[in-house]
Amino acid sequence: MSTSRGEGTRGRIGHRVPGRGPGPGRGRGMRDVVVIGAGVAGLAAAIRLAEAGLSVEVVAKGVGATHLAAAVVDVLGYAPGRVDSPAEALPAFVRDHPDHPYARLGPERIAEALSWFRGRVAELGYRGGLQRNLLLPSALGVPRPTALAPATMAEGDLRGGGRIVVVGFRALKDLHPRLLAENLALADVPGGRVEARAAEVALDLGAADLGAVALARRMEDPEVRKELLTELEPAVADGEAVAFPAVLGLDDAPGIWAELRGALGRPVFEVPTLPPSVPGIRLFRALRHALRRAGGRLTMGAEVVGAETGNGRVTAVLTRTGSRAVRHAARWFVLATGGVGGGGVGSDSTGAFRERVLGLPLRFLPPEGPPFLPGYLGAHPAARVGVAVDERMRPLGPDDAPALENVVAAGATIGGAEPWREKSGEGISIATGYAAAGTVLAEVG
Amino acid sequence: MRRLETDVLVIGGGSTGTGVLRDAAMRGFRTLLVERGDLATGTTGRFHGLLHSGGRYVVKDPRAARECIHENRILRRIAADCIEDTGGLFVTTPLDDPAYADRFVAACRETGVPCEEIPVAEALRREPRLNPRISRAFVVPDAAIDSWKTVWATVRSAQEHGGEVLPYHEVLRLLVEDGAVRGAVVRDHRGGEDLEIRAAFTINAAGAWAGRIARMAGCEVEVIPGKGIMIAMNHRLVNTVVNRCEMPSDGDIIVPIRTVSVIGTTDVRVADPDRWEIEPAEVQAMLDAGENLVPGFRRARALRAWGGVRPLYQERKAADTRDVTRAHTLLDHRARDGVERFLTITGGKFCTFRRMAEETVDAMCAQLGVEARCRTAEEPLPDSEEARYYWLGARVADREATLLEDQLICECEMVPRRKLEAAIRRRRTADLDDLRRSLRLGMGPCQGGFCMYRATGILHRELGLEAPRANRALLDFLQERWKGVRPVLYGDQLRQARLDDWIFQGLLDVEHLPTARPAEVARG
Repeated sequence: MSTSRGEGTRGRIGHRVPGRGPGPGRGRGMRDVVVIGAGVAGLAAAIRLAEAGLSVEVVAKGVGATHLAAAVVDVLGYAPGRVDSPAEALPAFVRDHPDHPYARLGPERIAEALSWFRGRVAELGYRGGLQRNLLLPSALGVPRPTALAPATMAEGDLRGGGRIVVVGFRALKDLHPRLLAENLALADVPGGRVEARAAEVALDLGAADLGAVALARRMEDPEVRKELLTELEPAVADGEAVAFPAVLGLDDAPGIWAELRGALGRPVFEVPTLPPSVPGIRLFRALRHALRRAGGRLTMGAEVVGAETGNGRVTAVLTRTGSRAVRHAARWFVLATGGVGGGGVGSDSTGAFRERVLGLPLRFLPPEGPPFLPGYLGAHPAARVGVAVDERMRPLGPDDAPALENVVAAGATIGGAEPWREKSGEGISIATGYAAAGTVLAEVG
Repeated sequence: MRRLETDVLVIGGGSTGTGVLRDAAMRGFRTLLVERGDLATGTTGRFHGLLHSGGRYVVKDPRAARECIHENRILRRIAADCIEDTGGLFVTTPLDDPAYADRFVAACRETGVPCEEIPVAEALRREPRLNPRISRAFVVPDAAIDSWKTVWATVRSAQEHGGEVLPYHEVLRLLVEDGAVRGAVVRDHRGGEDLEIRAAFTINAAGAWAGRIARMAGCEVEVIPGKGIMIAMNHRLVNTVVNRCEMPSDGDIIVPIRTVSVIGTTDVRVADPDRWEIEPAEVQAMLDAGENLVPGFRRARALRAWGGVRPLYQERKAADTRDVTRAHTLLDHRARDGVERFLTITGGKFCTFRRMAEETVDAMCAQLGVEARCRTAEEPLPDSEEARYYWLGARVADREATLLEDQLICECEMVPRRKLEAAIRRRRTADLDDLRRSLRLGMGPCQGGFCMYRATGILHRELGLEAPRANRALLDFLQERWKGVRPVLYGDQLRQARLDDWIFQGLLDVEHLPTARPAEVARG
């Protein structure tokens, strides 16, 4: 498919009042940028572009992986040993992994992107940095290295050891306090031992089976918190920090956290549960808020089903919402559709992989032989499939030149990494999203 | 070494062995069964779940067909709760020899397998996803049968009659004295201590492994392991068992069972029943076969692939194991090898396990000079007393009853928390895979992605396990599950697997859990 639409209207862009652009309506008009995908990478790119005054629309099939993740910002946790300082480890890491997205970015741009990100979601009060990883307990009690954590989680940092009581709710099946506590007591952490125990609260929540989101809503009721505190105060021993499942409210988590912290008079922190992730939803909302504040537009439930391309450019993408098809024309496109997990990269029963929106060539494909190894925790040959990009986040064609003039990629669509093993997912998403936006700004600015 | 005494020792905890246990116990023998793993983990738990009408064998193996329809009728009576009465269809697809259908009809008549031809339009009305280019369709009384449930119910019935089972007990050697088998020495894989079991009679029901057991008594028995692979698709592509109306071949059956449908199977001779792999080419062949029966099969989501090894007995060598009879073989080692008090029952099919047990126990009674009548065809299994078939909505109905009081641990298979806790206490097992087979925990589309963390936490708490052992149980389960999903990782199931990677590796960081050594795990 090819049309010349848009070709004749090239000119100065970014001249509109932010947020007041005419908008494409039902296929009319043209935005400066359409971002495909509403995960952390897509939203980061969109926010940066909107804040610079461009008219930006994010189109997305769904909410992306944010709702599944813990809302911590992993940059580099294992390489393959546990990483103490991402800042110190990154130069060697990019040397050893020349195909990794971090090798395209370089340590400075990663640091710049992270510091920019913290400012965008200031209300979540991210702590930490690239100098030293925090060690936060997973729901299984593994000390998990991460660079940044929201205020409600950061006091779970296990470095230096200490005493912890893990509060559990019987109605919540997605965090098991006893196993968490016992594993914490076995954890290898620098500078001290962790002593941990579990305390289950008998709080009557009116249901035997409450998901994390439902429980978080209950926690927004001051009466429920009062009851919780009444039950907890005698149960907490001197010198113990208090760990909660990450259910301390959806809308005002920092406020609820501060209230509990004040009432208990000791450090309080959240531990992420199985998905759906309450902190992930908070992060998504904070990013969405930042996008809207900057005048960007977010259209959900709009799956991209086609694209118009010609002369090495994309002129528009087509989305479908129910039976309604909409054309989204723009000067630039940010591809942030995710990888195999997010749905940006599909595969079929013959073992072939495909970039689903633009049909971009994929790299890091498994060589001849089994794509997956017999051991579950192995380094699987097909694990890193994705598009390859240059330093400016432009997807590469078969000849290693940018495949399309006006497309940049961000997030897990870019291959070459195993973020779930490296603990690098949000770092890659934020830094590539930020860098992709930088390319667009440099071209149109 | 600890010692035990019993009248009858049964070796092998598949359908045949547990059938023998029940039959012998019902006839008044003190009977003990040993199995090297968990019950129904050899071949029994690894088939497609088809309760044969016999239609599959009418042309090729009339004896097997007659046995199938005979036992089909009995099992529908005594094991109704384990059976979903899906009915079966034989359809002539574009790839099939059109002349076979008439031979099929004639052979059904000859063997007594009920068979009724219906118009193609009617078959397509019943099963709209079927290949519209089929040219003929026949209705037969096939059904779906849950092998685990059947084995557990058989064991419960045996226990009511005094029978006992020792899972995770592997036979190290047979006690052969004065030309007779007097029991066996077994190793307890969970407690570590060896056990000497003295028995008046020993029955080898070790299926594909029966040759190994027989050799321990100096009897040469050749059992050819015939590997068959199966793939479970994530929902019911058909609601009736669908067979190709053709000589038995690869991928000629789709069985709707529980919430999935299973396509099977292949037949490849392997040297060792414990060492074989699912080859990528076999998976591709199975998907092609599925495409022929249900167009679009390749775009549907495959959940898991597995294989089983059929025990095929033969006195002489055969190249294609499908040519060996599917009927069973009872070996009287007194007459054959001069070894007393020892029988081997092998070959056969899941559907005929009851009859195999009956013939075996009859032969034992004859040797012992005991008169006791078989009653297994008359007395229903526990929960099947009312002769009501299992129906797909049963779990939803159960769930509805406790909607507000209980947690749902496995959403895919609707396993509530109390049921899981009860199973953990009853089985005293720290092996999540045992619980999977008992409850279908983690068998749905997410293959344990959510329930396995929960189950680990509950297991740790219920059994008071040390954390490293609970951690090891989780890691062992993830590895076991990987075996099943790895051969079919594409499309939506690959996406699901990546989500699970994010949960287990990304979020929980299982790779860095402190664990007990593997050997310590299984010991509940």
